[in-house]
Amino acid sequence: MSRMRTPEETKAAMHEVVAEMYDRIVKGEPPTMTLPVRTKNNIGFDKKLGVYKYGKKQSVRDATSLGSAKQLLRALHVVEFIEEMLDAGKSSTLREMYYISEGWGMGKFGSQNDSNNLAEDLEIVTKCLREDFKLRPEEDGARMIGNLTLRERNRRGEWMRINARDDVGDSGYGVPYNVELEKIELLEHDIDFIMAIETGGMFDRLIENGFDEEYRCGLLHLKGQPARSTRRIMKRMSEEWDLPVVVFLDGDPWSFRIFASIAYGAIKTAHISEYLATPSATYLGITADDIVAYDLPNDDLSKKDIEALNAELSDPRFADSWWQEQINMMLELGKKAEQQSLAKYGLDFVTETYLPEKLAELGLA
Amino acid sequence: MAGIAQKLASNQKQVAISEFFEKNKHFLGFDSLARSLITAVKEAVDNALDACEEARILPTIRIHITKLDTKKDIVKLVVEDNGPGIPQKSIEKVFGQLLFGSRFHAIRQSRGQQGIGITGVVMYCQLTTGKTTHVRSKIATEPTAAFVDIGLDTRKNKATKSNAGREIWYNEDGTGKEHGTEVTAQMKAKYQKGRQSVWQYLRMTSIVNPHAEIIFIDPEGEKHHWTRVTERLPTKVESIKPHPHGIELGQLQRMVSESKDLNLNHFLLNNFSGVTNRARKELCQASEIEGTRKMKSIKGDDIRALLEAFQGERLFNALPVKLLKPPTNCLSPIEELLIKKGLSKTIDSRFITTLTRVPSVTQGNPFQVEVGLIFGGGMPGDKPVEILRFANRVPLMYQQGGCLLTKAIESVDWRQYGLDQAGGKGVPKGPAAILVHLASTNVQFTSEAKEALADNAEVMEEARKAMLEMGRGLRKHLEKKKKMAKTKEKFELINDILPAIAEKSAQILERPVPELSGSITKIMSAVISESTTEWNKETKNIDVEIVLFNYTSRVRAYTLLATWPEKSGATMENNDTGGRKEALGVWAWKLDSLQPGEKITISYSLSGLERGDWTETEVLFRGSQDVIGATKMDEKFLEEIRRQEQLLKESGIASPEDYSEVVETSTEPAEQKSEAIEEKVEPSVSPPDGQRTLFGGDV
Repeated sequence: MSRMRTPEETKAAMHEVVAEMYDRIVKGEPPTMTLPVRTKNNIGFDKKLGVYKYGKKQSVRDATSLGSAKQLLRALHVVEFIEEMLDAGKSSTLREMYYISEGWGMGKFGSQNDSNNLAEDLEIVTKCLREDFKLRPEEDGARMIGNLTLRERNRRGEWMRINARDDVGDSGYGVPYNVELEKIELLEHDIDFIMAIETGGMFDRLIENGFDEEYRCGLLHLKGQPARSTRRIMKRMSEEWDLPVVVFLDGDPWSFRIFASIAYGAIKTAHISEYLATPSATYLGITADDIVAYDLPNDDLSKKDIEALNAELSDPRFADSWWQEQINMMLELGKKAEQQSLAKYGLDFVTETYLPEKLAELGLA
Repeated sequence: MAGIAQKLASNQKQVAISEFFEKNKHFLGFDSLARSLITAVKEAVDNALDACEEARILPTIRIHITKLDTKKDIVKLVVEDNGPGIPQKSIEKVFGQLLFGSRFHAIRQSRGQQGIGITGVVMYCQLTTGKTTHVRSKIATEPTAAFVDIGLDTRKNKATKSNAGREIWYNEDGTGKEHGTEVTAQMKAKYQKGRQSVWQYLRMTSIVNPHAEIIFIDPEGEKHHWTRVTERLPTKVESIKPHPHGIELGQLQRMVSESKDLNLNHFLLNNFSGVTNRARKELCQASEIEGTRKMKSIKGDDIRALLEAFQGERLFNALPVKLLKPPTNCLSPIEELLIKKGLSKTIDSRFITTLTRVPSVTQGNPFQVEVGLIFGGGMPGDKPVEILRFANRVPLMYQQGGCLLTKAIESVDWRQYGLDQAGGKGVPKGPAAILVHLASTNVQFTSEAKEALADNAEVMEEARKAMLEMGRGLRKHLEKKKKMAKTKEKFELINDILPAIAEKSAQILERPVPELSGSITKIMSAVISESTTEWNKETKNIDVEIVLFNYTSRVRAYTLLATWPEKSGATMENNDTGGRKEALGVWAWKLDSLQPGEKITISYSLSGLERGDWTETEVLFRGSQDVIGATKMDEKFLEEIRRQEQLLKESGIASPEDYSEVVETSTEPAEQKSEAIEEKVEPSVSPPDGQRTLFGGDV
């Protein structure tokens, strides 16, 4: 799966999905689409790959209810649309596809979420990648700053050499949606580790304080739940350059989820976890005990936060004792804290005290 | 007209309680400025409606309220009706004397019932403004109207009259008025809006008097018009003699002392209902009084003994004397269809069910409970439901909490029927209004204010039963709505989505479009019924069509049943599928073999109805496989219909529908059981078009 498929291979894979529906109708049965169950109850740890993948549970979407039948019809429209793009050598964003579906009559999407989910469904069933389908995500990738050099093929097909410290402005290097080999090559670096950061404010704070140079690291802004390409490039840098990845997030249940999707694989994309997840990534902070240890300004957990934490307790990705302890501690505290709450002790506290102390624990500073 | 008017007036008797009134005006609805105005309107409108009803005139009533002096809260009220009018010499009696009224002594259902009405208004005006009340009235046989100003001398219990005269009465359009009465009164009062207002009173009055046209001009000059929705006057009620079970000592003493009967035998037979010749003999023996005794000789202890025999305390052959039940044709229920019309013209909704129970008897007094429930539409979903209480067609607007009718509503666990109700008790919440009407010859109130009904186990039980049944109707409606939505989805699936899937997949794979019938059967895997009930403009009939689709892979057999308004005088026509009568208002068709993929259509027309009388047919079935869109026949439902039919037959109660010209060979005395359900804006489900059967074959 690491390689891109040819348009013919992609079409053939999609035709299998269509044929399942067609053949069922010919047999006098309701048409169906078979796909793995996409919940936390059906993800398991793949020891060989070191990430969480979908298990064996399959769900059959059959056309006996109006909702499912409409999903099947939409899938057919999407297949047809992708074929047209493959033939014309074009690509579109998921959002564009959502708007194009306005013209699909009964097959039109109810929401953007519908179309995103369906694209993922097709990836899973056909074992193709979104890139094979010529579908681009709407969200842009991460920003990166640090002394690392890569080669990107621009839209004129020329390779450009870019150093993410010397060749970029303050906003850093923008990671494109496709970071596969035909688009990006990792050339060289002079850093000791990569730090992924949740919020833009903190990313900018570390740059302003010159943290990347002082601590010889590459900084990566995740922009909340990281896009696929963000996770993919982290994975590639970690593997190809053999660099440790540390993750610096807010201290709340949602940040735990972000970390899980970086390190173990997201539930929604468990079919391609081995391409996106960085199993060696380490959670740096903010941890539940940081809230106490650093006496950070905090907020009470909301009802939704508590629900999320409880759900995480039964999530196989958080099954190890460290996570169980952190989650339970946060539940007991009933508190959460943001990255930027460290500013309580001044603007330099994070770079002069907090991060050095945390990195020292990991042997990185 | 004059005959009636004069006869009505000649029945009047006098009871002197003017002074009692002055001391107790708070009991009589004059305790606050806002309420006084409502009471005044109420007394005038009640009189107008009663007079029109007795004279068999379709009432048109105009109410006009103007503010004369806002600082001192002086209000002018004009109420004009098109009733029979009052003969000149009776005007002062009608308006000037308390408890002056034929109704007080006659036993029958009527609005005012205790005759304290309009005189109270005259008195209130006198007391608060010192002004007399101007009355103008015209009877049909006289060319001019009589007018007079009535005041009141409360100590002498006498009316004072002044400025009497005659004039020609012109209508607004310049024509001469044929007959009617107009009351113009000035009083200290306040016009208010809201739940307890003149507007609400008139709105409620209009609901239960669908035969009346009511026009109200409020103090801001806004005109409110409640139209007449039926030309049918309420059934003419007969006076009945008192029933021994309902007699009190004082009343019996008076009857005995005023009796002109030859002897006790005659007295018993002539003056009571429910007393047969056998009962007469037994009553005499039980009370140990010779039947041949002269009435004059019957005194104190005899009367008490007689009363004890009436009440079953003195026995005959060790048993209470058996009496016939009083006749119930003295009651005038509004009836289901008319309540429905009345409700739907005043409240916007999606669903209405109404129910008139069979008359029953409590303590010798016949009574009948009617209920209505209206649901959905623009009503707020998070507030307590609106409760519309009525006694003998008179709205009850105060003391809701203390009223028997409210208690009956509160005693039902409405949660099971789809309304919110904290703890299953109290007034339920939801987008609904509940109407309860008690028709009775003797409505027992908690106080003279006549705003809340007193507790009575039998009435409570009847009202509760009616609520429960209505609740079931609501639940059925809500369930049906859900099912209909589901069915609609399924039809969309097989008619639109599935063909599109087949076509698109064939196109992508470049193969022929596959045949769909097998998939359709598997997807539907159900038997589906659809029905339409529509008014046919050309034939003036209501056309009903019921279609049954077998979307299963097996042959099915059913008995299909449908409700129809047989008791409202409808006739079933063009019913080519035949079938048989199952019970009153329920027709049945036996469908022996419905092949897979086949559909059967039953159609018929209902004649003898007006538009809007019947808008939804309930389809029921007997058979093992569930039918979507139809209800499984609850055999208890049929038993209940048959039981009530039998009950009616036995008691020999004349049907309130007896006036009906449509007489059917099979018609039993009207049963009161079936409910009339109206549903608007029901999503209709379209069957697969262009297919006689699914597989293209013929049925």
